[in-house]
Amino acid sequence: MALEAVARPNAGGRFIAVAVAAVPLLFVVSGLAIRYAAFTSVSAEPGFASYAQALCRWDCAWYVGISEHGYERFPVPNQSNVGRWGFFPLYPMLVAAIRSVFPFPTILVASITSIACSYAACLVAWPLLEKNMRAYVLYCAFLLSGPFSFHFTTFLTEPLFVLLTSCVFLALKRSSYLAAALSSALLSATRLVGVLVVFATVIQMFRDYRAKGGSTLSFPHWLLGRPDLLVAIFISPAGLFAYVLFLYLTVGDGFAFLHVQRAFGRVAGNPLGFIWDGLSAVPTDGWLPTAPQWSALAALIGLALSAVLAVRRQYGAALFCACCIILPLITNLASMVRYVVGLAPLTMVLAMLLSASKLTYLAALGLFLSACYFMTVAWIGGYLALV
Amino acid sequence: MPWSSTPGPHRRAASLGGYTLAAVLAGAEIIILALALNPNVNADYRAYYIDRTTTCLNRDAVGSYTHGETVSFRSDGAKKATGMMVCGWSGPVADGTHSLGETSRLRLEIPPLRDSLTATLQMAAVIRPPQITQRVVISVNGVRVHAVTLSGKEPRTVTFVIPPAVLAEAKTFDIAFDYLDGIPPSPAASNIYKRSIKLLSFRLDPIEPGQGGRSRCWPGLRCAKTHRSSMRRLTAGTSKHVTRMAMIGGRPSLAVKSAGAA
Repeated sequence: MALEAVARPNAGGRFIAVAVAAVPLLFVVSGLAIRYAAFTSVSAEPGFASYAQALCRWDCAWYVGISEHGYERFPVPNQSNVGRWGFFPLYPMLVAAIRSVFPFPTILVASITSIACSYAACLVAWPLLEKNMRAYVLYCAFLLSGPFSFHFTTFLTEPLFVLLTSCVFLALKRSSYLAAALSSALLSATRLVGVLVVFATVIQMFRDYRAKGGSTLSFPHWLLGRPDLLVAIFISPAGLFAYVLFLYLTVGDGFAFLHVQRAFGRVAGNPLGFIWDGLSAVPTDGWLPTAPQWSALAALIGLALSAVLAVRRQYGAALFCACCIILPLITNLASMVRYVVGLAPLTMVLAMLLSASKLTYLAALGLFLSACYFMTVAWIGGYLALV
Repeated sequence: MPWSSTPGPHRRAASLGGYTLAAVLAGAEIIILALALNPNVNADYRAYYIDRTTTCLNRDAVGSYTHGETVSFRSDGAKKATGMMVCGWSGPVADGTHSLGETSRLRLEIPPLRDSLTATLQMAAVIRPPQITQRVVISVNGVRVHAVTLSGKEPRTVTFVIPPAVLAEAKTFDIAFDYLDGIPPSPAASNIYKRSIKLLSFRLDPIEPGQGGRSRCWPGLRCAKTHRSSMRRLTAGTSKHVTRMAMIGGRPSLAVKSAGAA
């Protein structure tokens, strides 16, 4: 009897473990099927290689270039005025390393790696979603079969960014600062805004300290007395600093990743002004919002979800997400949809909110799966809001 | 487990090691930051990317050219024209090569010359009311040689003389077009996207001694005037001097004529 009582929870645990592993796998398959169907509806050329190539749009070509040829020195060969310096190195390096073992075309290797990263991101999200199966299903559907699943399954940094962000917040949830710091270091080598997660780490340290009864004013003194925490803080931006050093040694300008933005026409301005301009770009015919309107809406929804995180006392995640939206918004609305959907804490809180009732859960699930088809067609067609 | 909670004799060593590692990391990051704040780049890189004083990033493009040859900057002359483009151009397309930004440059390899050259360009203004004219300052090898105001959508032929002093000992012919009235595609757009002119064709003809239209630097006069100070002069209200003498230091320096100046 006693053995049976022990075995039952174990059996339940095993079932949940299998479900946690199987749900994202199911959405990997369904996502591939839906996106492939969308691809065949606009392309006569069959095959997975053609499909992977068709989904490689916009920045994807830059990452393929980095993965295959690395970064240029200055002057840039072929008399180009744009170097690849604006695109961070970790993900293309990872793909290059995998390609050295599996010598297939870069985009094929990258697509499979992206799917693997997104799958792993789902697994890491399970404890972050409070082991809420409905929220977990929605989150997995969003990443792997959702309207923006092409971002997470082609050669863009989003799959690795989502995975590493989830790793950082899981480590912080467990107050494992060194693990959080190592993930943060990798995150800061994946995208520039990744370095901002260090603030979430410090906030979590502060909360832990306060939970133990420490006073606000004595926090800096306490922090200075904890070398392990200091190491964690200084490791967090290491990926960014390594890239800065690399650029200094190759290009002569450690901030080339910032300066090269000039060649992409990015100009600093007022974020509120950009949002207003975006919302004001009303369609001249039809009722569908224009690309600037979608981008402005994405920024607003992202900021609103950041506020929801703050209300839920997830201050570190809220600050990180808000900064990740506002920082690129200083230049313009370009890629805003991708930036917002690539913020794991936001999509997780969205999944939690939508899973609150069975009705919204089912409606959202249906919407995600059906929108996947149409959004993939739009992505392949080069729709500007999805850049 | 925090290192501070490591038991007994190892605690002090772990703590010391932690501080050392933190100091090394912080020191390395400060050094890298200091290096990044002092970039080691050439003047072209600095001007375009860091100081943002130009929209035209100088590149090592040098086109081949034979005097008397008319190079089309429409689609039909793409191969030849593209080789001459240094920066600040988009195209060629059917209606010509469009300028991009506030400056465009062409560079050609030319044989040594002792005589003047006549440049003949076919250009059209990009117009978007209320901006209905385009002022263009043309410099060769850093010396301002001509200024023209284009109006109307129809292409116009602009001819001017390049004195030998500008070309003396130069192995390349570097012609820059500075635009004072570029039109940005939107109010918030970067100045690298400004549109000003469409270049349709380009031609250089040597002028034999004794032929009309010859021009030169006046004896004892400094010809090499920086092109940016010329720009300042033009913007300061001395722009109505097309088809007249370009003045340097209050005295005539380069005789210019224009067939297409407004």
